[in-house]
Amino acid sequence: MHLAISLNIAAADGQDVLDFGQITALVRNAEAAGVDMVIISDSADKPSSSPFEATTLLAALATVTDKIGLVASASKLAHQPYNLARRFASLDIISHGRVGWNATTAQNPREAANFSRPEGFSDDDFRRRAWEFINIVRLLWIGWEHDALLFDKASGRFHDPDKMHPANFTGEFFSVPGPLNVARSPQDVPVLVMSGLAGTELDFASRRADVVLLDKLEPSGARATRDEIKRRAHEAGRDPVAIKVLAVADGGPEHDGRSLEDLCLSSGCDGIVLTVQPRAAAVEAFVERLLPELKRHGFAKAQGKTLRDRLGLSEDSKP
Amino acid sequence: MSARQMKLGLFLWATGHHIAAWRHPDAHVRAGIDIDHYIKLAQTAEAAKFDMVFCEDAAGLREANINIASQTSRSIGFEPISLLSALAAQTERIGLVSTASTSYNEPYGLARTFASLDNLSGGRAGWNLVTSASPIEAANFGATGLRPHADRYARAREFATVITGLWNRRVPGHDGESFSVRDPLDIPPSPQGAPVMVQAGASDDGKDLAARTADVVFSAAQTFEEAKAFYDDLKGRLAAYGRQPDDVKIMPGVAPVVAATKAEAQAKYDALQELIPDDVGVALLSSYLSISDLGRYPIDGPLPELPEGEGMKSRQALVIEQARRDGLSIRQLARYFAGARGHWRIVGTAEQIADELQARFEGGAADGFNVMPSWFPGELDAFATLVVPELQRRGLFRKDYEGRTLREHLGLKRPI
Ligand SMILES: Cc1cc2nc3c(=O)[nH]c(=O)nc-3n(C[C@@H](O)[C@H](O)[C@@H](O)COP(=O)(O)O)c2cc1C
Repeated sequence: MHLAISLNIAAADGQDVLDFGQITALVRNAEAAGVDMVIISDSADKPSSSPFEATTLLAALATVTDKIGLVASASKLAHQPYNLARRFASLDIISHGRVGWNATTAQNPREAANFSRPEGFSDDDFRRRAWEFINIVRLLWIGWEHDALLFDKASGRFHDPDKMHPANFTGEFFSVPGPLNVARSPQDVPVLVMSGLAGTELDFASRRADVVLLDKLEPSGARATRDEIKRRAHEAGRDPVAIKVLAVADGGPEHDGRSLEDLCLSSGCDGIVLTVQPRAAAVEAFVERLLPELKRHGFAKAQGKTLRDRLGLSEDSKP
Repeated sequence: MSARQMKLGLFLWATGHHIAAWRHPDAHVRAGIDIDHYIKLAQTAEAAKFDMVFCEDAAGLREANINIASQTSRSIGFEPISLLSALAAQTERIGLVSTASTSYNEPYGLARTFASLDNLSGGRAGWNLVTSASPIEAANFGATGLRPHADRYARAREFATVITGLWNRRVPGHDGESFSVRDPLDIPPSPQGAPVMVQAGASDDGKDLAARTADVVFSAAQTFEEAKAFYDDLKGRLAAYGRQPDDVKIMPGVAPVVAATKAEAQAKYDALQELIPDDVGVALLSSYLSISDLGRYPIDGPLPELPEGEGMKSRQALVIEQARRDGLSIRQLARYFAGARGHWRIVGTAEQIADELQARFEGGAADGFNVMPSWFPGELDAFATLVVPELQRRGLFRKDYEGRTLREHLGLKRPI
């Protein structure tokens, strides 16, 4: 059973926010307990008082940890696809292959207003734009073949020009020739995490996502969605085990190891993701009480160098 | 109170600033995929008490011709904001400055990112504002060509106004030509209030924007006279914005090649020059001159007459001026230019290099320097162990950090 924790920095309010040292301590504790990945949330639909933006925080965390997967949310409205693809490809190299992008699908009402889109997007435009965005990012990530870099000082060839492929994407919302100016990442492509899914989004996620986070706690609902995702993944020609579905749950005091194990088993999901509130007291309680129990209940036994390896994603996801 | 001291920045660039650096036998050729390499460089610079490390940036390949691009190390590297965020956790004092484009970002997003870097680093972040002069970058953001220079600067001015407003906690309610922003910044005030503002444009528009908003200006100059003229010009523009000459630190680039004797240093430089393929040199020169086909002119002939481009106006003028002044052929100019992209080069002993830096610093042509080692890590190590102690002996450079934040290192006031 996979175990992810979601550190919800976007929910920070008031004075008791976590500093970098406290976040590092939490992530290292999670790493020691075998947690597969920590997901750093980002801008919410209300102002937060977290001192950090997710991708910059993640880069710093990458240098002070060495096993745990690191996933950051980054919004498709706040970034351009070229910039975002670069950021995550760099993060994957910095972390030696432990990074994922949480591509949230919900529209954040504050973002359009602060990112020069006062007119906003209709839900349908937003969705079509999002798919385009994700497809471009993926094309940019696979632009350099694994062995494209030659480093041949004597002949003067740094890379093999035949192993560098432009994206040449032209769509309804974006046009991006590429290629990316960051090398192929250690995971080939950073892990793509999707959350906040509804309706037609499920279909896209089934085709593209490596990890889907469900936000329905009730086990029967979670099971139905999980089954639907796996079925559609299969229809799209993917091995259904190559897409991991994690049930959501709150990492607060209402849960213990047994209830989470039950939730995971009855939902049929591949594991769970626990939300930890960004306050010192909540983090302390989580680390001292819940983390040891989860270990006892058989969560997070996975090994592996990269996040893909840990999640058992390596095979199907090679582009 | 101690005498005025110079500021030093370390200009990072994967394998080094010389276009052929990656082919140097001791250059770390995997620099662009090795974070530990950068951590070591930043820690070396910090041990030598540099004010800051600085990353350039472009959101695209440097060179459109793939055959040329594949003979350089510049088509891959780290995205600088992730790189510097990683360095923030592995260093304690040194400033961390990254370039980011006003043309391909939004002010609200960049304000959050740099505020976050400032928080992560305990007040060491800086932003180098550029307007991006490459059509390759423009294409990656859906444009069919480079937008006119004046338009790019109009957008940059609006960008600077909005981002400083966000950092200074004004409620923007901004609805302008290029941007609209409704809410105040959702990241609490960072240790420096606002990250240090750096600029590197040297056209008239560029200098004016710098006079209005920059804390630090990077520049390129060959001769003392050029450096002095730029320095006086920029400092002269400050009064119009109610600012004092000391509010802005001007730091020209310098590419030193240092060794125990002058002959040894010259031999090191010559060996690197031997490694430049002609077509690579000419292509690099062409891109800075905003001309696509310099290769069709005779390589041993003079530089043709060139129209003013829409790219980097100031660098174009500087290169043309040098070609005329020294009567250089295209080949000679390309080889010279490949060493440091038009920045000032000094080849010599630590004493000779210190003499030259001292003369520009004390002669009122610089407040400090942006050091551009020819190849990494060797030329940085040489500068740190030979030149820095010489500058310290002369009382020209600090022996230890006076403060914690980049603003404190630079002797800059806190905004607001
Ligand atoms: C030391 C130095 C570093 C620079 N770094 C960058 C850079 O990283 N990216 C970029 O687009 N321009 C860079 N430039 C040039 C830009 O600052 C400038 O915006 C240019 O694009 C156009 O300005 P101008 O025409 O006003 O000179 C640099 C210039 C100097 C002197």
